[in-house]
Amino acid sequence: MRNGLLITAVATVTVPGLLAMLAVVGHEHVAAEAGVSAAALDGTPPSGPFPVAPATARAGVLNNVAAVQRADGVPVTVFNRVTVSQKAEGMRLLDGAADASLSTSYHGTELISQSSVDGSVKTVSQVWHQGGGVTLVETSDTASAAARPANVSVASSDPASGSPEGVFGVTKSLVALLGKHYVAVDRGGGTAVGRKATVVDLYRFDGSVAARYWLDKQTEVPLRRELFGTSDEVISQDSFVQVKFGALAVSQIAGRGAILAQSHASDQSVAQSAWVAAEPGQILTSLAGKGWPVPGSLPGNLPLYAAASANTASGEVVDLEYSDGLYVVSVFAQRGTLAAKMPGWRQVSVGGQPAFVSGHSVTWAVPGFVYTVIADAPPQTVTQVVKALPRDSSPGVLDRLGRGFVRIARAFNPFG
Amino acid sequence: MSHLGELLSALVDGELSGAELDRANAHVAACGACRVEANALRRLKHELRALAEVNDSNDITRRLLAMGSLDGPPGLVGPGASVQARPLGRGPGPRRRVRATGERSMGDPYSALPSGRLPGRRRGRYVLWSTLTLVVVGVGTAFGMGGSSGSTGPQITPQLEVYDVQHAITSGDVPFDDPTDVPARVPVVAATP
Repeated sequence: MRNGLLITAVATVTVPGLLAMLAVVGHEHVAAEAGVSAAALDGTPPSGPFPVAPATARAGVLNNVAAVQRADGVPVTVFNRVTVSQKAEGMRLLDGAADASLSTSYHGTELISQSSVDGSVKTVSQVWHQGGGVTLVETSDTASAAARPANVSVASSDPASGSPEGVFGVTKSLVALLGKHYVAVDRGGGTAVGRKATVVDLYRFDGSVAARYWLDKQTEVPLRRELFGTSDEVISQDSFVQVKFGALAVSQIAGRGAILAQSHASDQSVAQSAWVAAEPGQILTSLAGKGWPVPGSLPGNLPLYAAASANTASGEVVDLEYSDGLYVVSVFAQRGTLAAKMPGWRQVSVGGQPAFVSGHSVTWAVPGFVYTVIADAPPQTVTQVVKALPRDSSPGVLDRLGRGFVRIARAFNPFG
Repeated sequence: MSHLGELLSALVDGELSGAELDRANAHVAACGACRVEANALRRLKHELRALAEVNDSNDITRRLLAMGSLDGPPGLVGPGASVQARPLGRGPGPRRRVRATGERSMGDPYSALPSGRLPGRRRGRYVLWSTLTLVVVGVGTAFGMGGSSGSTGPQITPQLEVYDVQHAITSGDVPFDDPTDVPARVPVVAATP
C-alpha cells in the first residue's frame, strides 16, 4: 500500500517534469531536422543567354604575381606583366564610367544573372536614366515576365553621394573602394551589345581576375560586367541586351514617371521608407550604445562604407552597407522577431544558422533582433557573412539550466 | 509428601539428569497431583511454543513482529530466516538460545525478528526518491524555462521590397525582383503575445 502510494506520488511530480523536458528537446530536434532537410546553399553557376566560357579557357587572365616587401615590412604585390600605365588607365576608365553613368541619358534593357544563396537569380529590368537626374527602373524576373510585366518600380538616387546610382555597380563611391582592394587594368578593345567597347579587367592581389567590364567606347557607360569567383568561375553576369543613348531616352521618362508616381502613391511601404544617411562610424557607436550588435567589417574584406536608417511600418530599420567596391552586402537590422509564418521565404540553414532565404536575401532572428542580408556576392561569402553577424546560438545545457534557475528564482522572489 | 516444586518445571524442560531425574520420575508416577501439574505444564509449553512459531510466508506477522522490535540490533535476520521463540524455562544454557538460519545470541525474545534494518532502509528509499523527484522536477523546469528567450519585440516579416530598392541604390545595380508575390511581402506587424 505504502509502496503504491509512493510510486503514485513520485510519478505525479516526475512525469510532468520529464514530459516538459522532452517536449522542449523534441521541439528543438524537429527544428534541427527542418534545417537539415532544407536545401544546400551551394549555388550553381548561372547559365543562360550569356556565353559562359569554361575556367580553362580563361586561364590567361591570371597574371604573374610577385610579392615583395617594403622596407617598413608592408607587403606589396607586383604584377609582372601589367605596366604602370595600364593600371593607371584602368582606374581612369572606371572613374570615367562612374561619371558617365551619372551624366549620360540612356534607356535600355538589362539582364542580370547571379548566383545567390537561393540558387541562380535572373532579372530583366527596363532602365530610363536622365543625365544628371532621376533613374527609373522596372524590374521583373524572367520566369514570370510575360504574366507580370513589372512589379517593382523605383525612382532612386544614391544616398551616399546625393546623385543617381551608376550602372552595374559602377558608382563613384564603389569605384573609390575598388582602387583600395583591386587592381584595374586596361585590356584594350572589345564589343558588347553590338557596340565598340573598352575592356577593363579587375584583379585581386593574388593575380586572379575578379571582374571584367565592357565600357562603351563612345559614352564610357558600362555595357556589361562579369564577376569571377576565386576559382575563376563566373558568378555573375550583368549586361544590356539593348540600349539607346541620348535625348530620345529622356523624352520617355516623363510618361514613365507619371505611371511610377501613381504606383508609389499606392505603395505605402515604399512611401514610408525615407532613408536618412548616417556616418558609418557614428552609427556603429550609436548602435553599440543601444545594444544593437553590428560589426565594423564583414568577412571577405568588406568594410562598412555607408549607413542609413528609416522608420518603416514595422519600426526603425538600420541599413549597413559593406563593400570592397565589387561585392556589396546590405545588412538591415531591426528590433523584433520573425513572424511565425514567412510566406515567400524558404527555410534553410546558412552556416549552421537557421534562416529564411528568398532570392539573394537571407533573414534570421536573434533574441531581440531580425537581420536581413541582401548580397551581390558569392554564396560562400554570404555564408561567411551570416556566420560573422550575430547568430541565435542555442545555449549549452549548463547555460540553459542556469538561465532557467535564474528565472525560477525571479518568479519566486518576493522582493522582485 | 513433599512435591517436586520447581523440580517439576525442570523435569518438564528436560533439564534433570541422573538420580535427580529418577527421583522426580518416581514421584510423578506415584503422585497424581504432580502428574496432573506436569501434564499441564507440558501442554502450556506446547501451546506457547506454537504461538511463538513464526511462519516465514506470513508477511503480516513478520511485519508486526518487526514493528515491535525497532530498537533491536541490526542485521540479524534476512528474508527467509526461520525464527523460533525462546524455549520456556529458566536458567542459562539452551533456554537462552535461538535457533535461526544463523544461530545468534539474543537478549530479547523478539530481537531475532527482522527488525531495525528494514525500516531504516525504507526510510532511505523515501529520502532517495524524494531527492530524485525534486532534482528531476527542478532540472526539468529550469531546462524548460531556460530555453526560450522570452519576449523579443514585435513579430515582423522583412520588408524585402523596400530593402531591395535600398540595396539597389547603394550597390549601383537594379533592384532584384523576387519570385514571390509582392502582396505577400507586405510587412506584418503584430503585438507580441
